[in-house]
Amino acid sequence: MSVGHVARAAEQAGISTVGIYVAAFRHVAEVMALPRTLVTRHPFGRPVGPVGDKARHRAVVTAALDMVGAVDHGGAVATMPGRFDAGRHNRRD
Amino acid sequence: MDRADSETFDEFKDSFAYGERTDLTFKFLKRLTPDAAAEALRQMLSEIGTSLDTGDLTRLHDLIVEWQITAYAGAERSYRYEQAPFTPLRRPLADCRVGMVTSSGHFVAGDDPAPFGVADMTQVEAVERIFDFLREAPVLSTIPRDTSADELRVRHGGYDIRSAVKDHNVVFPRDALLELAAQGRIGEVAENLYSFPGAAAQGRLLQVLPEWVEALAGDRLDALLLVPV
Repeated sequence: MSVGHVARAAEQAGISTVGIYVAAFRHVAEVMALPRTLVTRHPFGRPVGPVGDKARHRAVVTAALDMVGAVDHGGAVATMPGRFDAGRHNRRD
Repeated sequence: MDRADSETFDEFKDSFAYGERTDLTFKFLKRLTPDAAAEALRQMLSEIGTSLDTGDLTRLHDLIVEWQITAYAGAERSYRYEQAPFTPLRRPLADCRVGMVTSSGHFVAGDDPAPFGVADMTQVEAVERIFDFLREAPVLSTIPRDTSADELRVRHGGYDIRSAVKDHNVVFPRDALLELAAQGRIGEVAENLYSFPGAAAQGRLLQVLPEWVEALAGDRLDALLLVPV
């Protein structure tokens, strides 16, 4: 809930916000009526993507910020395409 | 006493959440019914077996995500707001100053918030004291945008920080923001970014929030990226 409170307060202070939530916390964004939310089907602790996956990090952050420019109403929730694919980038040595 | 004879399955599945087998990636097992937790474990073990031949753990990772979603689907909802606040973006993204606040528990080496007065608190201790954190207001750490990865620290008793330790960008995507600024997709990244450990007393957070918002307003942000964990 913590970040949801920050989102609501910042938005009320005139700052446009967007949150990146893992899918298991989608309900938090919904019950808190957050302004804009991008949901990623990632595990806890990795909302932006796997370790070292710069392309996924960039894609997620870009999609989130694009929502800020594109959405014209509060309470918008979108789901990020694609899955959590750690195997492409990381192997245990 | 032989634990195998005395431990119930309920106790076993619950032990991953602040118990003797604490593993915060799997603390969701405690939220599942015994039957659901058993099915989750059966499916995950089956996929591990399959991966021995394929080397592909993708489906296992999908299962972890799916069971985390299932576990939290009925989570307690102590807050419900009907109206979503909304501030339209004032200018094109390419002209915007973008800030970031994450609840990942990052801070800069030498600027440790020292929770409860404990200097250099370890992650293990933070996990052990999670219920103390949940009674207190969180401390907001300021992280200059050009802080080197070597100087970034992370500690948070509420989630598995293994990924965040290896690569801050999984929860604190500063590098992606800087890339987007370099490419001209956004105007600039704010000079200061922020993080706090999100496992905190919500009522106390609301008490300190006006100060946080004042700091964000002082940064003259157009847009703010938020990343909860």
